[in-house]
Amino acid sequence: MSSPQEKTSAMNQAPDSVTLNGVTIDDTFAEAFPMKATRVLITAHNETWARHAAVAMTGFATSVIACGCEAGIERMLGADETPDGRPGASVLLFAMSGKELAKQLERRVGQCVLTCPTTAIYAGLDEGEAIALGRNLRFFGDGWQISKMIDGRRYWRVPVMDGEFVAQETTALVKAVGGGNLLLLARDTDAALAGAEAAVEAMRAVRGAIMPFPGGVVRSGSKVGSKYPALMASTNDAFCPALAPLARRSELDADTRCVMEIVIDGLTEADVSAAMRAGIAAIVARGAAAGVTRISAGNYGGKLGPFHFHLHKLIGEGAA
Amino acid sequence: MSATRGWNLRLKAQPDFRVDFGSVQPTALAGMTADEVARLQVRHGNGMLALGELFDIGALRGGAEAGAGTSSAADSAAEVRAEPRPELFLEGDLSRFDAIGQGLDGGVLRIAGAVGDRLGLSMRAGAIHVQGTAGQLAGCEMAGGLIEVAGDVGDFAAGALPGSMDGMRGGTLVIRGKAGACCADRMRRGTVLIHGDAGDFLASRMVAGTVALAGRAGAHCGYSMRRGTLVFAGPAPAVPPTFVATHQDIVVFWTLLRRSLAYHGGPFAALPARAPRRLVGDLAADGKGEWLVPY
Repeated sequence: MSSPQEKTSAMNQAPDSVTLNGVTIDDTFAEAFPMKATRVLITAHNETWARHAAVAMTGFATSVIACGCEAGIERMLGADETPDGRPGASVLLFAMSGKELAKQLERRVGQCVLTCPTTAIYAGLDEGEAIALGRNLRFFGDGWQISKMIDGRRYWRVPVMDGEFVAQETTALVKAVGGGNLLLLARDTDAALAGAEAAVEAMRAVRGAIMPFPGGVVRSGSKVGSKYPALMASTNDAFCPALAPLARRSELDADTRCVMEIVIDGLTEADVSAAMRAGIAAIVARGAAAGVTRISAGNYGGKLGPFHFHLHKLIGEGAA
Repeated sequence: MSATRGWNLRLKAQPDFRVDFGSVQPTALAGMTADEVARLQVRHGNGMLALGELFDIGALRGGAEAGAGTSSAADSAAEVRAEPRPELFLEGDLSRFDAIGQGLDGGVLRIAGAVGDRLGLSMRAGAIHVQGTAGQLAGCEMAGGLIEVAGDVGDFAAGALPGSMDGMRGGTLVIRGKAGACCADRMRRGTVLIHGDAGDFLASRMVAGTVALAGRAGAHCGYSMRRGTLVFAGPAPAVPPTFVATHQDIVVFWTLLRRSLAYHGGPFAALPARAPRRLVGDLAADGKGEWLVPY
């Protein structure tokens, strides 16, 4: 298990950083912001086709900066967990506004789920503001669509070439939290990737949270603003090894040659906390010998979002 | 002693004329004293009569009345959804009492005995449990809530009043006995489950909704049916020439519907997982109604 906590004070480390199993955990926090989110359940004839639909629907949904939404597969579902008794996938979508979320949901379900063989789609949340799921997609049926109320829920049955596409009329929109993050500082690329993969795997076990970037990991962490006025974000120079000797302020020492970031969106603040805690625990369990020597987090001085996930508080709660 | 949660009305003797019981609502009576309940006037033939002259009146206290309902575990779940308090428990042969639960908007009516016509007419919420039979127009134009009849029901159950365009508009009607003619005529929304046989013209002129039948259907089933679903859980019916088979995979919809119907137990609890045959019609009308027929 992890070694006793010890306080360190070394170059390029915050004065009150904590070391667990050789991994330094900065005394800093991840700064997150409010988002709107929904959960939908996709089912299909078998898990393969459910996954195809879910992967397509969550494609090009890494960042709201240019994708319109952030989305990911929360987890795959067994046949006993879905409304129609078939295998499925639980998908979470996050956007900066309810209007944008509704737009993205309709587009993605229409182009990626309606089109995918054998699929059906259902609301994954009961409470919240109703937004259209099958309500508008039903018009694809060109008048042949059928509405059905079952146990107070309206479903649409749209004739398609493999039978019929069943979609619940609405799903629920809820307030959520986006932008939780961990920065993994490693001695090289192999170590950084292995650590990030282990952390993401542990974080995927947390319900209500997704890591929207490819494989759950982002290498192009950003800071707010740019020297170019047209850009709202640019490379996080403080964590770029190439800029360690050049940038005005670097967070890296000479032994840190690769940094990976894991971004987390969650339905609640607690979900983001749980995912971050799981990620930290996975890195700490591997120990500094595995190559990830330090964990930090990105924030903007508390000016961007109201949700602050303090790393030391998270590991304290994990130990409690 | 626990607080009063409703009233127990035991019939003293059969009334001389038919009684219109539509003004007696469990929610309205819940706030009354026994004297006030006894003085409540109901129409009796051409005149009015006080409830106290028709019934012995007592308070219901504590938990659910033992033996008052016909509920299974599944029905209890439906009852919870229907907000079961406050309650009115009627005892006796009430076959001369019409419009029991008319316009019901909450609470529970339990009747240990038969009831007259127009049971739950236009009710919107709440639950009605009848241990005996019901007359004509049971659940007629109901828009919500649950009606459960342990015995048979007369003609035009879940149907429309004369001159009205729409029959049942929501809620659930469970008939554990047989249904008379024209059941679900002009039905627009909601669910009807018939554990026994159904008379002629079942689901005639149906606009939408779901009817599930465990017994045999009479003649002219689905006559002029425009939309809606008719599930045959028992014997396969004779298929009229204005209904045609479709052959697509409907297992997703069937699973959703089958699981919902299974709540009501009996023959609906064991509907096969395999999707049934699907026929659509009535082609003489809109042709978008469907029959789900076992193989």
